Amino acid sequence: MGFFSTFNSDAIKDATLIKGNAPAQYGGRLSSVLDVKMKEGNNKNYTVNGGLGLISSRLSIEGPIQEDKSSFILSGRRTYADVFLKASDKFKDNILYFYDFNAKANYIINEKNRIYFSGYFGKDELGLGSSFGINWGNKTGTVRWNRVINNKLFLNTSFIYSDYSYTVGLKNGETNFNVNSNIKDANIKQDYTFYMNPKNTIRFGFNSILHTITPSIFSGTVNNSVNKVGRNGLENAVYFNNNFKANQQLTFDYGFRASAYSIMGGDVYNLYNGNEKTSSILLQKNSFGKTYLNLEPRFTSNYRINDFSSVKIAYARNVQHLHLLSNSTASSPSDQWIGDSYNIRPELADQTSIGYTRNLKNNTYELGAELYYKEMQNQLDYKDGTNINTIADVESALLYGIGRAYGFELLAKKKTGILSGWISYTLSKTERKIEGINGGNWYNAKQDRTHDISIVTIVELNPKWSVSGVFVYNTGNAVTFPTGKYSLGGQTIYQYANRNTNRMPTYHRLDLSVTYENRDRKKHETSWNFSLYNVYGRENAYRISFQDDPLDNTKTQIVQTALFRWVPSVTYNFKF
Amino acid sequence: MKLHFNIVIYLYCLIMLFTSCDKIITLPFTDNDSRVIIEANITDQSGPYIVKLSRSINIDQSNIYPVVDNGTVIISDNTGVKDTLKYSSVGIYKTKLIRGVYGRTYSLEVTVDGKKYTAQSTMPDKVNLDSLRINTFPINGKNQYSIIPVFTDPLELGNSYRFIQQINDTLDNNYNIFNDNLNNGKINQRPLGPPKKDISIKNFDIITVEMQCITTSAQLYYFTLSQQSGAGPGGGTAPTNPPNNIVGGALGLFSAHTSQTKTIRIPN
Repeated sequence: MGFFSTFNSDAIKDATLIKGNAPAQYGGRLSSVLDVKMKEGNNKNYTVNGGLGLISSRLSIEGPIQEDKSSFILSGRRTYADVFLKASDKFKDNILYFYDFNAKANYIINEKNRIYFSGYFGKDELGLGSSFGINWGNKTGTVRWNRVINNKLFLNTSFIYSDYSYTVGLKNGETNFNVNSNIKDANIKQDYTFYMNPKNTIRFGFNSILHTITPSIFSGTVNNSVNKVGRNGLENAVYFNNNFKANQQLTFDYGFRASAYSIMGGDVYNLYNGNEKTSSILLQKNSFGKTYLNLEPRFTSNYRINDFSSVKIAYARNVQHLHLLSNSTASSPSDQWIGDSYNIRPELADQTSIGYTRNLKNNTYELGAELYYKEMQNQLDYKDGTNINTIADVESALLYGIGRAYGFELLAKKKTGILSGWISYTLSKTERKIEGINGGNWYNAKQDRTHDISIVTIVELNPKWSVSGVFVYNTGNAVTFPTGKYSLGGQTIYQYANRNTNRMPTYHRLDLSVTYENRDRKKHETSWNFSLYNVYGRENAYRISFQDDPLDNTKTQIVQTALFRWVPSVTYNFKF
Repeated sequence: MKLHFNIVIYLYCLIMLFTSCDKIITLPFTDNDSRVIIEANITDQSGPYIVKLSRSINIDQSNIYPVVDNGTVIISDNTGVKDTLKYSSVGIYKTKLIRGVYGRTYSLEVTVDGKKYTAQSTMPDKVNLDSLRINTFPINGKNQYSIIPVFTDPLELGNSYRFIQQINDTLDNNYNIFNDNLNNGKINQRPLGPPKKDISIKNFDIITVEMQCITTSAQLYYFTLSQQSGAGPGGGTAPTNPPNNIVGGALGLFSAHTSQTKTIRIPN
């Protein structure tokens, strides 16, 4: 939706999106990597940054703990849409908010050693008085030790702990239960950077993660009939990557990642052959079961044809050991993660891409084109009619298959000047083929979008005023509409043909924002931001449903539900 | 891990409260493969039992379903009883002698225009519906009501139930499908879901609940239907024709199930 960002911009130094062909130090995901680096905190002066808005506010403070030696940054956000709900008698019991908190401190031990502590805590709450509630929470804590071994070799050692959880609670009258699920990861990572010579920069290291994944467990007046427990898995990886500048024109970035996932004890693992349970394995706590080992080669080469143009080719294999099971077409709290098991094998993706970039007018403009093809193995889905939250063993209902994605991307960017921004266009196809779904034939993945256009522009009218606009346009998601209907038990039931052959209506939207910056005052910097989401009030379809026409029940009515049309917002930002 | 997605749900709720807008649209329709629809039930109540045959139609047609009046319908059981059903009218075929008994397996054989469809269903044992209870809870200062069917699930796993709720004279079209993957062997404490959006349970309403003990294949059929709620990011699961127990390509269901009904009045 892009309305509230996942990341708090006040706390972020830098974010890099690496699509598909990530170097070997990244792993564990098939899709793109968003590498987010948090700010380190100003170690000379105190600064306060913040924004007061209609639906959310944020505040961050940074400064030295000991001058030139240690610093901190604290940053928090909260939305308060529910304040408006409280004002209305009809909705006074509704709870709806999100808050998060970032903290980071760093300490320079000596010239060669530095230590960083960081933490994140975020929570979403949604509820209806004490009768119904959903919350999601995400906590992470990191200690990172940055060590200069000598002037060519640097080492980063990190300990990371993260806990993602959700709870759905229902308490109405005599019924009172909670559904809980969580993933806890304990992660240790060592990353060496070796500046061997001006031509070669080598990175190598290892990463071990102990995953504890607890599926949805009911407690209270409603309980699972078959006891469910959390499962552990150990993910290990070693990697090596060299960035080799062969000459002024040619660069190679190549390496590999070896990743292993070991199933761990403490639960019974059932083995299935199609629908049939063939055997089960009871793994004792702390013992290891099957280990999946995969080699992930990575290769990127960049060739500068001349001062303004270059070509790039890349190939990468990525492996993912945690898998998402989703009960609905929208992401929802009933989504579940599951690790590799005896039935579930690691998901693999092989991506090849070729790209061309060209700069124009002294680097003012950048043009790029990229072609990619990606093949995926061991993709998961589950049988129709499965309730993944209550089923005793979700593995009994899983189906396996393959996927493929290919496309063409164009990007034009204007980097400097009064008007800057970019236009991007992607033509793509994403499909899956899973035995037991759609007659075993290829079908469009729900996120398949044929055309995707985005235009972002910023106009600096003068030092005080700037205007920015975002326009997005994409083909509607692939969905399944009924082709026919029949009557059963006095109800209209819809008949379906092939999966995901229909399309939601095209999605497009324009957002505008105007910023007024006041830099006159000596130490303070303030700004006002006025924005309007969905300027021309496009009713983008959020859901399309079929029902009997309430006025004439011999007819079928198609109802399109759109979310908001215009959303205005005002934010006052300050920094001192 | 994916905190930002829940924002979608936020927005969903927020927007639903304030600014969401529904409008009627038209869509281009593709051809539909007209299929034979079989609606066949055997219950533990006295017969005759009914099998209804019709055909599916295109989504843009009026809900007038062509009946099949030239079919042959036979139901037999595992004790050797074989009953050839008699055509009555509007696609309805009636049994003459077969009886619905717990634990018996029934076989259905339907022939339409030379094509044969078969299905089997074993009537589950009866789990007694002891009573109905009213569950009261306040939301936004107003009392809301839901109905808890009181029954004790047997110790053995594998029981499935369907509840059909009627508010005064209006049948609630929502599916209330339970199984004992939750609370096996216990007295039920789960309430039935709230009725469809245009009906609510109010003071003085008379609620009638039919409880059916159904087979696991019927559970799968109805549960799949209950999960389908439109397409798009705000929809339910990717819809398909629910898996059924009929071999040969007909849609519908053959269900041998029990049937008990109780009534309760919401007091002031």
